[in-house]
Order: sequence, then C-alpha cells, then structure tokens
Amino acid sequence: MTSRTVLLNIVRFVFLIFFQVLILNHINLGGYINPFFYIYFILLLPFSSPKWFLLISSFILGLGIDLFTNTPGLNAAACVVMAFARPFTIRIISSGPESLIGDTPSLKNQGLKWFLYYSITLILIHHATLFYLEIFRFTEFFATFLRVLLSSAFTLLLVMISEYLFYPKEE
Amino acid sequence: MRNLFLFFRKHYFYFLFLLLEVISLSLFFNYNEFQGSTLYTLSNSIFGSINATFNNVSEYFSLRKTNKVLVEELAKLHSRLPEAYYKADTNCYYIHDTLVKLEYTYISAKVISNSTNKRNNFLMINKGKIHGIQNHMGVVIGNKIVGQVVSVSRHFSWVMSLLNKDSRISGKFKKNNQLVNVEWNGGNYRKGQVKEIPKHVVIKEGDTIITSGNSDIFPEGILIGTMSDFTVAPDENFNYGRILFSTDFNSIGYVEVVVDLMRKEKEELKASFKSQ
Repeated sequence: MTSRTVLLNIVRFVFLIFFQVLILNHINLGGYINPFFYIYFILLLPFSSPKWFLLISSFILGLGIDLFTNTPGLNAAACVVMAFARPFTIRIISSGPESLIGDTPSLKNQGLKWFLYYSITLILIHHATLFYLEIFRFTEFFATFLRVLLSSAFTLLLVMISEYLFYPKEE
Repeated sequence: MRNLFLFFRKHYFYFLFLLLEVISLSLFFNYNEFQGSTLYTLSNSIFGSINATFNNVSEYFSLRKTNKVLVEELAKLHSRLPEAYYKADTNCYYIHDTLVKLEYTYISAKVISNSTNKRNNFLMINKGKIHGIQNHMGVVIGNKIVGQVVSVSRHFSWVMSLLNKDSRISGKFKKNNQLVNVEWNGGNYRKGQVKEIPKHVVIKEGDTIITSGNSDIFPEGILIGTMSDFTVAPDENFNYGRILFSTDFNSIGYVEVVVDLMRKEKEELKASFKSQ
C-alpha cells in the first residue's frame, strides 16, 4: 500500500465517521430506514491490506461511531463481523485473484456486477447484525427484517452515488 | 507447544475476529442495560436449573446433619405450642386482639448454590417469583442473618450474602441498643467488621450484636454475631472492631426468606413524605 492510499484511507475514515454521526444519524425516513454509510470505508479498503488490518480498522471504525451514538459495542460488533466476512465474500464472488483488476474494490475497477454482489452481501451482513443485536429478541423478527432490507437499500444507494461521483478509473 | 503456536499463527484471522467480537460484545452487554439484563436473566435461569439438579445429588451427603437440625428445630417449636403450656385456668376465652397483627411471615427455601471464598459472595435459593419472593427481602436461617434478595426470577432467587463488599447491615448491641454498622472486608468468612461504634460505649468481647430493625429488610432481633476484638481509635470519631458471625456461611442448607407483610405500607409512608 502506498502512502497515498494510506492517507486517503485515513481521510476517508474520519470523514465517513463525521458524515454518519452529524448528518445521517438524524435521518430517519419512515421509521424503518436508518442508513449506515460509514461502512463504505470497509468496502473500499484495498485488496492488498493484511487481514488483521481489516479487522482492527473496522473495530476502531465501529467503536468510533459508538462513541457518538452512546451504544458501546453495537456498531463495533457489526463492523467486525462484516470485516470477517469480507475476504470470504471476495473469494466467492471473484473467479480467482487474477480476475481482480487493480487494488481497490471500486466500481470502475471491477465492474458493476461484481461490485453490486460485493456491496450488497457485505451491507446486508452488517445491517442484519446491527439491527438484530440492537433489538435482541425474537418477537419483532419480521419488522426488523424489513428494517434491514430498507436500510441496506438506502445505504447501497448512497454507496453507488459515491462511487459514480468520486472515483475515476485507477491504475 | 510449538504446534499450538503454529496453529494459532495459521488461523490468526479467525482468532483475531473472535477476540475483537468478544470485546465488542462484552462492551455491548455491559453498557446497554436492556441487552445486559436480558442476558443476565437468561443465564440465571439456565444456571439455576443446572444447579438445582446438581444440588439434588449433593444434598444426599448432608442429610444426616440436616435431619439433626430439623429435629431440634421441631422440638423447639413443639415447646411453643399452646398444648405445652400448663393451663392454670380451665376457662378459655377467645379475645379478638387487634393489638397484635401478623407482621412477618417466613418462606422456607433450599440453598442450591453458595460461595464463601470470593470477594462478593452470593447464594441461589430454589424459590422465586411464583412463591412470593420479591427483591430486597431479607434471608435468615432460624434467627441468624444470611443476606438479602437482590434478583428474582420465576423459580429462583439470587441472594447477596453478608459476605459481600456491598453488604452493610444496620445492627445494634443487644445489651444497650447502641447502633453500629456491620460489613465484611473479605478474608475470613467467619469474621466481619463492625464500624462506627460510638466512643462512649463500653464493649466487651462476646457482646452480642443483633439487627436493629432500622432497615426495611430485616426484622429486629436477628442475630448477626458476637464481638471478637475491639480497637480504640484515638484520632477518629468512632471505634471499630471485629465480629464473629453466628452464621456459618459454609454450611447453609435451608434458609427462610422474611416477608414483611407491612412493607407496602412502610414504603408508601416514606414515598408520601418525599413527595410533600
């Protein structure tokens, strides 16, 4: 990883936390949609990052969000699960490590279909862990399921918009 | 040993994930009340039924001693029955006496788990909400103190024993009614600490300390223990000493939970003053 990518990731980390906490956490459309855009950071970590870095940085990301939302451990747990699932998901979706173009799992590099599978899977895992942990009982199973689906859709929308806006084709 | 290290190194991803997840979840359950308490009641009910089964087996070993204690208690109670008293007058009158109203009843329970070697010791008893046990009821064995109920589930209750750093009993000297506080600072499970003995009180070794009745939890007169040593503290306002507990916490089998029938009235009285 070049120092440019490291710096870029750090900036992304900080910006996404603040964007989530200051703006998105106050968005509550229809009571069911709570977007969690900060996981974009985990989605965009380079392929070449060591696995421990993946886990630890997502843990810190989740913890950072939790600091602001007064729910210690909730986001951290969901982010760690998502980071754990990431290498596995990438291996399943790609047809081999050679088929990955470049170092970043971005839309321009890997193609729409790959990116869609990748982000939908990881977003769903994260949101499911988060919402079910938060509610912690079985009585409102389907309402929570609906929340998971709707919030994931909204987060996916935000991720797609960012992909088209911010990242031109890289090396 | 080396193979173990190699195993860890090879699968470090999974172990790191487990570690981080456990950290997040323990933070989560610790600081979020709802999830923490749900987990707590769930684990308590599982723990309770396992312990009850285990205890069923182990109680066989103490049957002889329990029997002996029960027979003695029975004899003592028999001697209290009206039949044991000599009737001096063969005329019997029934008087409806409203001066004496039943204030305390006792629910007997079996201890299914106990500890005396930790800093904070608790007991679990096999009676719970459906038997009428509620939070903050006192627990005694005969006329000796054991602790108070801190958590109740449907079939079991969790009792904070006197051997606990949060346990503080308001007691008094039997001979002169002086109020003191009894605590336990860890260490020997037979001895506790008596704090705040007023300076003007003369103490001897062997003086009995009983509950003062000032707390809502224990009725007056429950035995706590006897003074075992006593220190004069010249530069503080109170003296302090050590108490030998009358209850042997290591050999508790059956206990009784004190139900204060007038508790609701007492609590409402306090609440009505606070809201004035």
